[in-house]
Amino acid sequence: MPSAVPFNSQPLVRFEGHDHFRNRLVLSILSGKPVRIDKIRSDDKDPGLRDYEASFLRLLEKLTNGSHVEISYTGTSVLFRPGVLSGGVVSHDCPLSRSIGYFLEAVVPLAPFSKQRLELTLMGITTDSKDLSADLIRTVTLPTLAPFGVSEGVELKIRKRGAAPGGGGEVQFVCPVVKQLQTLNFVEPGKIKRIRGIAHSVRVSPQFSNRMIEAARGVLNRFIPDIYLYSDVFKGEESGRSPGYALSLIAESSTDAFHCAEAVSSPGTTPEDVALEATRSLLTEMKRGGCVDRQHQCLVLLYMVLGSEDVGRCRMGELSPRAIQHLRDIRAFFGTIFKISPAEPMDRENTELLLSCVGVGYVNANRTLA
Amino acid sequence: MEDRPQKAHRKPQAGVSAEKKSGKNKHEKGFNEKAFAPRSGRRAERQGRRKVEIDQTRLHVPLVNRTPDREPPPVIVAVVGPPGVGKSTLIKSLVRRYTKHTLTDIRGPITVVTGKTRRLSFIECNNDLNSMIDIGKVADLVLLMIDGSFGFEMETFEFLNVLQSHGFPKVLGVLTHLDLIKKAATLKITKKLLKKRFWTEIYQGAKLFYLSGILNGRYPDLEIQNLSRFISVMKFRPLVFRNSHPYLLADRLEDLTAREQIRLDPKCDRTITLYGYLRGTNMKQSTTVHIPGAGDLRIKSITRLPDPCPLPTVESEKRRKLSEKHKLIHAPMSDVGGVTYDKDAVWINVPGSFSRNRPGEEGEEGEHEPEGEGEKMVMDLQDVRSTLNDGLAHSQIRLLGSSSVPLTGAPLDGGGDGEDEDDEDEEDEDDDLDSEDGPDEDDEEEWDEDDPAMHQPSVGGGRTESRQPLRGLASQAAKRTEDGVEYAESDSDLGDEFDFENAYSREDDEDDDDAAVQHVRPQGGPSDESGGRRRRRDWMKLIYQSTLSPDEIIRDIDGQHDASKGVEDDDELFTLKKDSTIGASEVIDQTKEAAPSQDQQWEDEDWLDSFRSLFITSGQSMDGDDDDGNPNGEEDGDDDDEDADSEGNDNHSASRDTVVTKSTDALLKKKEALKRQFDAQYDDPDADGKLDFYEEKKAEMAQQLSLNEQEFAEVDEETRSLVEGFRPGAYVRLEIADIPCEMVDNFNPAFPIIVGGLLQTEEQFGFLQVRIKRHRWYTRTLKTNDPLIFSLGWRRFQSIPIYSLDDHSIRMRMLKYTPEHMHCYATFYGPLSLPNTGFCAFNSLDSSTAVFRVSATGVVLDLDQSSKIVKKLKLTGVPYKVFKNTAFIKDMFTSALEVAKFEGANIRTVSGVRGQIKKALPKPDGAFRATFEDKVLMSDIIFLRAWYSIQPRKFYNPVTSLLLADKEKWVGMRLTGQVRREEGLKTPLRVNSTYKPVVRAPRRFNPMKVPRKLQAALPYASKPREMKPQKRPTYMQKRAVVMEPEEKKAVALLQQIRALQKDQVARRKEKQAERRAEHRAKVEKTEERKEEKRKVERKEQMRQAGMKAKRQAADEEQGGRRKRRKTS
Repeated sequence: MPSAVPFNSQPLVRFEGHDHFRNRLVLSILSGKPVRIDKIRSDDKDPGLRDYEASFLRLLEKLTNGSHVEISYTGTSVLFRPGVLSGGVVSHDCPLSRSIGYFLEAVVPLAPFSKQRLELTLMGITTDSKDLSADLIRTVTLPTLAPFGVSEGVELKIRKRGAAPGGGGEVQFVCPVVKQLQTLNFVEPGKIKRIRGIAHSVRVSPQFSNRMIEAARGVLNRFIPDIYLYSDVFKGEESGRSPGYALSLIAESSTDAFHCAEAVSSPGTTPEDVALEATRSLLTEMKRGGCVDRQHQCLVLLYMVLGSEDVGRCRMGELSPRAIQHLRDIRAFFGTIFKISPAEPMDRENTELLLSCVGVGYVNANRTLA
Repeated sequence: MEDRPQKAHRKPQAGVSAEKKSGKNKHEKGFNEKAFAPRSGRRAERQGRRKVEIDQTRLHVPLVNRTPDREPPPVIVAVVGPPGVGKSTLIKSLVRRYTKHTLTDIRGPITVVTGKTRRLSFIECNNDLNSMIDIGKVADLVLLMIDGSFGFEMETFEFLNVLQSHGFPKVLGVLTHLDLIKKAATLKITKKLLKKRFWTEIYQGAKLFYLSGILNGRYPDLEIQNLSRFISVMKFRPLVFRNSHPYLLADRLEDLTAREQIRLDPKCDRTITLYGYLRGTNMKQSTTVHIPGAGDLRIKSITRLPDPCPLPTVESEKRRKLSEKHKLIHAPMSDVGGVTYDKDAVWINVPGSFSRNRPGEEGEEGEHEPEGEGEKMVMDLQDVRSTLNDGLAHSQIRLLGSSSVPLTGAPLDGGGDGEDEDDEDEEDEDDDLDSEDGPDEDDEEEWDEDDPAMHQPSVGGGRTESRQPLRGLASQAAKRTEDGVEYAESDSDLGDEFDFENAYSREDDEDDDDAAVQHVRPQGGPSDESGGRRRRRDWMKLIYQSTLSPDEIIRDIDGQHDASKGVEDDDELFTLKKDSTIGASEVIDQTKEAAPSQDQQWEDEDWLDSFRSLFITSGQSMDGDDDDGNPNGEEDGDDDDEDADSEGNDNHSASRDTVVTKSTDALLKKKEALKRQFDAQYDDPDADGKLDFYEEKKAEMAQQLSLNEQEFAEVDEETRSLVEGFRPGAYVRLEIADIPCEMVDNFNPAFPIIVGGLLQTEEQFGFLQVRIKRHRWYTRTLKTNDPLIFSLGWRRFQSIPIYSLDDHSIRMRMLKYTPEHMHCYATFYGPLSLPNTGFCAFNSLDSSTAVFRVSATGVVLDLDQSSKIVKKLKLTGVPYKVFKNTAFIKDMFTSALEVAKFEGANIRTVSGVRGQIKKALPKPDGAFRATFEDKVLMSDIIFLRAWYSIQPRKFYNPVTSLLLADKEKWVGMRLTGQVRREEGLKTPLRVNSTYKPVVRAPRRFNPMKVPRKLQAALPYASKPREMKPQKRPTYMQKRAVVMEPEEKKAVALLQQIRALQKDQVARRKEKQAERRAEHRAKVEKTEERKEEKRKVERKEQMRQAGMKAKRQAADEEQGGRRKRRKTS
């Protein structure tokens, strides 16, 4: 009897280098295609995976059922065979080399496609200068998901804050299960109608946050009156192990487009410096235009691809390098190519882009019916 | 008679009818309100309710229809029925009706144009269950043929059950062979019966057609016409599965493998092409496909071909009816017009002589006008005067518009790679073809060469005119180059076009080729340099085609680099990048980017003011057009002229004409906004507010669909196919590599080839949990771990399910057999399929089985990489020492480690005494101490109820029926018993398994001993009444009885008397019975006599009554007459 075409395993998607590690694993889980990443810091003095990357792999194993990770002896290559996103109650201790944001940024796109409601508790640093802080994820990332139909019941609670070196923060991320994402059609950036912000400080004088607010208002008040900057001071047990403070600013447009910026204290900076840095980055970010914050381009692009088999459109500012690589990775995993055209074809100076794609009709296959 | 004009109709001028006809005064006094008014309040309420109910039945869940309204793919009409029912005749009749073609044999799908917006693909389904399953998955309309003289057959029911589990397409019943039933009454009854059965299967009121008999090898034209009318007005609701998967019903298969390769290794994997109309959703190049019966495959390339059977265009068809010219037919595997496409050859059937027309006889050719297409081709083929190589050398094919040297014939095999990398795929195909054609100097290669000739509309065959070349590779390539020419031009002046043509495959090839460089160069030309910053970069090209790293792309933008430079000499940059990575410090995978420079500009007021326009508070938003272009109706202040202003502030000069156009644009927009405002103010406010949920959803879908249509409307074909894939309705050619040779060798057009696109999930494997129910017509129960053949999604495969039931929502408990008349769960390993997908299962697909073959149906519930099924495991042990509530138990475990694992577990005795495992004992291995709620007996059996988790076997065996020579004889994994039966093996008899009489030792009960002290303390009533059994015989037993002589006499006498008495009684009884019988007979006799008498009496009575009634009636009549007479 002739046998069927040999088709035992799906072909590997191969990558090189340590960059975009999280995005590639996220894409692998969502697409179900195994991925192999080689040459991870192979030329480095300290080759192989970093502790936070290993920790991220462990987190993925907790979130999924049946995932299979193979790390080479030197740690410079990883083979990841994705399993089924199971969700449920998970807690994870993040290493102090990266903040919680590093992990949460990658979990957020995965969470709505779990089998069960995800209740993830992450412990570690809540705010640092590399990744989105828990505040920004709560106030910008999660509302960014709303037009895709992921809004009801999505929640991020900051139980404890933990500043950079010592950590000791704790957040709980709750995300319900969705069946299918809605198609995005977001081409009207609108005008900024309000600015919100959170100035938080732990283990320093509560006055610091007020000083930040004062300084930020000094710049922003000239533009718009609707500014509320909250002072959020955590004390005692909830304040982690290290001192620190930060200001995160969110600008919201009339069409519910968000732009955000954040500045974190570092040794030797005054609260005013931090506030100025944050406001300036916010203004720069706003100037870039588009309906999506630059730091959330990857997320929105991914969710556009995962939408139903309709044309999704989104106007964005100039693409970030991460987003560019993400577009390429999306093609590797889903075969989807975006149509990228200038948003204002007549206006030569405008750098905004209109990205449109046909979704792959991704349906949450993990969801249980019974 | 006919000359005389008929008398014209004169309208009534006066009278009631005139008034009625004129209709003027009809509602003169207003409408009669009472005419349809309900008579009572209750009735009104009932009427209202009924109306709403009827409205609700009309509603269905709104579903998006992915099939485009413009140029939809042909509707697949499957003709299904048992052999000999008249399927072929029906197709022939229908095709004849639509196209005036008479088919001789039907192989593969036959596509015909039936109307201005509709095409039909007829496909005949053979009696194989595999084919029926596959056809059921793709058919839009099923013509279910039933032999009226025989009735329904098992296959028909099986087919209907298969349909039900894969989304029910429209089904039209067709009853044939009715002419065999001679008696009209029988015919009527048969029709009624069959209709009733059909209705219960489909739905009440399903349409059933009757075809009476055959005339000239076809069904009567009138009946066929009626049927075709029914088909033409039929609407199809999108089925969920087909609406989310791309698929294709192949109407042609072609082997592309090189002949030489096949000669060297006849079993080598083949490369084939499949042709057909795309259906369902968009198909992309990256889609993995499944061919039911062959397996999962990857598409090597998709090419869109010109439609071989196009719908009439608007320009060509202004009339109401379809013109004869557009009644096309496309049936590549059947012989239509004398041309048949086989898997590896094209056959031309010429009925007449093959002699070629002499060139001198041009005039004769005119007379020979009805020359078949095939014939003409053969004639053309005979015209060839040059070899293929010559032809190539003479042909002026330019692969690229800018390439100066046309493609020459010399480098036939090796030249391709150096010449043009961009059309690599095409070139490969050409190579393949060429090498394939090489060995057999057949008509085939000329076919390619003579392509243009074939393009030319033949003189006579109006129908065949627009049929496109199906082999049209060369022409396709030519077309592509043409596009390329256009491209180069547009690139130079526009610059922002997306040029996939040349550089899509660039990423992989390292070596640059001259032609491509030449082609690309215009972009990097002087116009670009002079354009400077104005020039907009092509993001799609940068991202998807260049090998520039993202950072370089960004830097490129900031540093005013030329966009196309990276594309051009990428290998140089590649080395550069390598160097930089070694030297530079590590790039951290982080989201946040560096803060903006702390420049002096932030102190600058003007700079800060430049941000003002971004805010809603900026002044311009108040100038009246603040509600423009916002679909949500929300207020937003952005508009174009504002942007222009803001950028004007930025001191960037914009050219004047753009400003002018902008202002006119803005004016237009303003006007539009004003109009909208006016409409909103003065139009009917209820009109849009009335949209209920259903209509709202429908409107949303329509809007999205129109957006889908518009978004890529102005993009060129190539880009569109890359971005959104190939749309349904396109006629495409799929090239698929690495196909087992059996598929080609054993190809049979009677068995449909379906190419089903798979979703991302469906490419993965795992455990599927399904809800399953044994079919009630399947005679046996299904057993866990018996292989079952599933038809799920596109696939047919064999797997090994484990049945289970939810046990109090705590656990999934394994079942050995499926329950009767009840759903249960089943878990098996296989390719994943989305939850809610229906499936059906079979134990065997063999057509020789007499029983109903659909053994179960169900739906997918859950996908996972492991399963949670448990089965009950009882561990037993016996006490070997019993204390009060504690007992030592052995024989349950074998080691202390096992005991440790089960510490704290609940145990129980057979009598129901509950307990707990405490701790392992050192002495006998596996013994432990346990405590119970009561004292256990030494004779008790202690057991521990545990749950043992089991995983289904990872077995997946696709049904590869298409690869077989005899496609109905697929055999999967068999049961052990089946194997033994077929091999003639005896079941091994194990000694331990034989039944033996159960020998049980008699149970010994120990006497209960109550301590004497306790006995003494007990109250009297509770004292154990212990009496030893009498050991010595009692007096009554041991006495000896000796009778005196008189005593003896007395006893004897008494005995005699008793005997006499007995006898007397018996005799008396006998006598009495005799008398009683006599009496009964007497009574019966008298009774009989009496009855007779009564009967006579009754008769008389009735007679009297009748007479009386008669007389009365007569009297009355007389009286009446008398009366009338009186009145008159």
